[in-house]
Amino acid sequence: MSDIDVLKRRFLREKQGRLEAESILEKKALELYVANEQLRQLNENLESEIRKKLAELRESEQRYRGLIESVQDVIYKISPTGIFTFVSPAAEKLMGYTEADVLGRHFNQFVQPGYRESLRDFYLDMLIRRQDSTYHEFPALTKNGGEVWIGQTVRLMTDYEGHILELVAVARDITDRKRAEEALMTTQARLSTLITNLQSGVLVEDEHRNVILVNKLFCDLFAITAAPQSLIGQDCSAVAEDAKHLFVDPADFTQRVAQLLASRELEVGERLYMMDGRVLERDYIPIYLGNQYMGHLWRYSDVTERFNSREQLRRSEEKYRGILNNLELGVLEIDNDQNIVHAYEEFCNMVGYSQEELVGRNVQEILLPTEFHPVISQQQKMRNEGQAGSYELQIIKKDSSRLWALISGASIIDEHGVVTGSIGIHYNITERKLLEQELALAKQIADDARQAEKQFLANMSHEIRTPLNAIIGMSHLLFDTRPTRQQMEFIEVLKTSADFLHSLISDLLDMTKIEAGRIEMHPRPFHLAGLLRATQRVFQMKLENRPIEMDVMIDARITGDFIGDDVMLNQILLNLVGNAEKFTEKGCIQLTAKIKKQENDQCWIEFQVADTGIGIPDDKLGIVFQKFKQINPQGHKHKGTGLGLAITKELVEIQGGTISVKSREGEGSVFTFMLSYAQSVQSTDPAESAENRPVSDAILAQCNILVVEDNLMNQKYVSNLLNKWNITYTLASDGKKAVEEAKKQAFDLILMDIQMPIMDGYQAAVAIRSTHNPNQHVPIVALTASAMPDHKSTALTVGMNDFLTKPFEPKQLFAVLQQYAVPRKMFPVAESERPPANALDRQQLSNIYNGDSEYAMDMFTTFLTDIVPEFAVLAEKVSDQDWPTVARLAHKLKPTLGMVGLTNMQTMLRRVEEMTDSSPAGPQTNSQALQLLYVDFEQELSRMLPLVTEELHRISQE
Amino acid sequence: MKGIVFTELLEMVEQQFDYTLVDKLLTDSPLPSGGSYTAVGTYDHREINVLVEELSRQTGVPIPDLFRAYGRYLFGRFTQVYKPLIENVHSAFDLMASVEQHIHVEVQKLYPEAELPHFDITRLGPGHMIMIYQSERKMGDFAHGLLEGCLAHFGETATITKTVLDADGSSVQFEVIKQ
Repeated sequence: MSDIDVLKRRFLREKQGRLEAESILEKKALELYVANEQLRQLNENLESEIRKKLAELRESEQRYRGLIESVQDVIYKISPTGIFTFVSPAAEKLMGYTEADVLGRHFNQFVQPGYRESLRDFYLDMLIRRQDSTYHEFPALTKNGGEVWIGQTVRLMTDYEGHILELVAVARDITDRKRAEEALMTTQARLSTLITNLQSGVLVEDEHRNVILVNKLFCDLFAITAAPQSLIGQDCSAVAEDAKHLFVDPADFTQRVAQLLASRELEVGERLYMMDGRVLERDYIPIYLGNQYMGHLWRYSDVTERFNSREQLRRSEEKYRGILNNLELGVLEIDNDQNIVHAYEEFCNMVGYSQEELVGRNVQEILLPTEFHPVISQQQKMRNEGQAGSYELQIIKKDSSRLWALISGASIIDEHGVVTGSIGIHYNITERKLLEQELALAKQIADDARQAEKQFLANMSHEIRTPLNAIIGMSHLLFDTRPTRQQMEFIEVLKTSADFLHSLISDLLDMTKIEAGRIEMHPRPFHLAGLLRATQRVFQMKLENRPIEMDVMIDARITGDFIGDDVMLNQILLNLVGNAEKFTEKGCIQLTAKIKKQENDQCWIEFQVADTGIGIPDDKLGIVFQKFKQINPQGHKHKGTGLGLAITKELVEIQGGTISVKSREGEGSVFTFMLSYAQSVQSTDPAESAENRPVSDAILAQCNILVVEDNLMNQKYVSNLLNKWNITYTLASDGKKAVEEAKKQAFDLILMDIQMPIMDGYQAAVAIRSTHNPNQHVPIVALTASAMPDHKSTALTVGMNDFLTKPFEPKQLFAVLQQYAVPRKMFPVAESERPPANALDRQQLSNIYNGDSEYAMDMFTTFLTDIVPEFAVLAEKVSDQDWPTVARLAHKLKPTLGMVGLTNMQTMLRRVEEMTDSSPAGPQTNSQALQLLYVDFEQELSRMLPLVTEELHRISQE
Repeated sequence: MKGIVFTELLEMVEQQFDYTLVDKLLTDSPLPSGGSYTAVGTYDHREINVLVEELSRQTGVPIPDLFRAYGRYLFGRFTQVYKPLIENVHSAFDLMASVEQHIHVEVQKLYPEAELPHFDITRLGPGHMIMIYQSERKMGDFAHGLLEGCLAHFGETATITKTVLDADGSSVQFEVIKQ
């Protein structure tokens, strides 16, 4: 029973439990159903919602795709590994790639090689830093190998959990911008390189005065130590203030900078002077963009060198301009056709035209008188040959007056060497021309006066000498006419007076020559000792019968030849010894020569002339060498010109010597002079020297001498003497005849006059010496009218051996004969004196008149009364230089001379006539020679007229 | 309390003794539910204490031992009934550690009305763990038994030292040290 109860209870419990569980499950199932039902409904809603959203999405995508396709920009997507997953069609347009070309490929393939790494780095960086959006630029390769610059904005696409899905990029073609940028950068780089490297200090500031650019040179100029690069961006408004002390005028510098900044106007080439002496040039250049002021540029150039050279140039220009202005030089520029290109101010002032009136005009037409056209043409020709010349011509001024201009012209040659014209510098010489004319006139007058004076002197000299010669000569001859004692005294006085007169004239003429500087040294070898001995002999002869000894003491070392002007020395010795002789009553005159110094071959020889004469008072010693000072007491029998010692001193000094005098009154005087001679290596044999060859009178008498002398008086004088000494001689009246005679026969000596018609003595000597004839080496002694060394030198130069100054005394001639004449043949000594040769051409006269004295008388009278006055007219015409009349008159008068036996004069007049005709341009060039010739003619005439008168007198007494 | 706890207790009693004892318990005990338990039902938790108390009286086995023994028995049943829940767990410690975070979470999903105890678990090392049981049901012995059942299931040996933290038994600490 209990078990059954238990089982029953168990069953009941089980059943109760099952029912309870079933009810719970039933409840749960219902709940599940409801829940399931709800889920199903929810699911259905969700599906429709999804469909709707998907449609919306498709629509949106379509829209975006359209948008993507329509934009210019390329839109593309790449995976995080860099593979293209999408690209918009714009890529084809921009780069030529189709979608197929791009998709699935790595971006590297589309980027310029040099930029691939940087692009990869860009993407990586973006991925690592998970940047949402970035921008990057790079050059991409186009399909055809070209290049396109891309600027892309990239976005990072991630899922909800933050995983990176892809990168979406919008790429834009920025090639143009890039190129522009590059171009800009290049330009900028060039510009800044340019500016930085300019040889000027450059500072570029922006509108706020911040430095944009500055170069090293600028910093150097403004003593800024900071590096130029470090100044960029800095405010530079204080630079001027900081640097002002560098400038000479600091206040002006800063003030000017402020002005420029305020004005904002371009200003170039302002010059600034710095304290250190440099010169700067400043440019201020404002920078405008459109009308917008953007800043400015300062440029400072160191122009010191340029400035200095320009300054020099300017000064030089100014100097020359100043000189030109002061010189009043008118400058004119013309082209090759003589058209005026430029007339400078001074030229315009000169001619009175304005620049405008002159330019373009032809020079010849507007400015030049017709008569000067050839001058210009000639100058143009010379210029074309490259010669610059100066010439004078007249210019017609605007007011028609004329001015004389001295023009210096030169060609203008352009850079190609082509003559483009010429430039002439005109100097107004109108006044100078006037002055010149006046001067020329004055000179003519002066010349005429001088000429007249010269003629007068020459005339006087001859006028006086000729009669003097006669007086002296005749007085000598008078001594031989056995005069009474009283007559003897008269003749003595006559002779002394004539001698004095002669020396007076000679000295005056000599001094004139010395003062005119016409005396020159003619050094040549000469035998010094011989010269001294000769001097001794001359004076020994002179001193014969006087109680005065003439001693010569010669240094033993003085042997052989010395080189010097022996003529001058001779003149000096003659003067000094002559002076001593003049003032010495008795005692001696001593001539001493000794070598004072010898250096190599140069000898300083001291000459001394000492006398025992009256001496010179102490107070007068200082003036003895002065001109026209005569110290001899009044009433002394010797008078002179007072020129002798002055001449002597001049002659000593011309030879570089010195002369002094010592004296004691009443005891005598000592004149000492020193001359320097070179000793000649060639020594003439003293044995050969003429002075060492005493010739006896007897031997002399055997000589044959040729006397060449045109002056009849002198002919007569010499003839008389030679006859007296029984010496054979032949007379020749001119050089030509002398040469002819010299060819005919051999002579032992030729006495040669210098001044002769037809051929003078010099020419004759040359002819004899240079042609083959028997007398080629015969001694020739000149008979000169003047004792002056110049004549004597010439005589020696042409080959003559010595000279004898006219008038000479018989003793002097005799000494010469003794010295030079070496007889070649012996003549019997003729005791009788020969009559002097007749002055008139007797042969001629006898030919004409043949003893018809009446006819002759008639002719002679006519000549003296009618013809002679005609010569005075002729003289006037010669003096007037009226050459045609002179020629006519000469031609007319010429035959009359022959009619009275004046054959030589006839020749002379023929020569006058020839000379007037010799030049078609007229005898101007020969005027002086003609005048001199006529002077000779007149002298001759005055000399001959007495003979003609005498002849007439003789004929009338027949 | 879930019906399975009651049904399995009665099953264990029936197996250990016989249904007579089961009947006795159900008959003698004052049970508002009447004692007809089903696994899918839910019953007042106090009835388990009534039943265990009666069983103790009938058998003379102290109540804590009975609960501890039932815990060991029930874990065995769980491994069969809730196999999917422990399939992926390979050690007792892992299972014990995941009770609060995993097992109870899943239980709650199946039985939203279930009232579950709370465990604080501290792993001091690979074989050393401290678990603090906290529940107003005060069923620390039952938990002890479950832990032992778990070790047994995985064939592991460990000493479990039980320390009552709260005198009323609402908080109990178990230190498990693997041997």
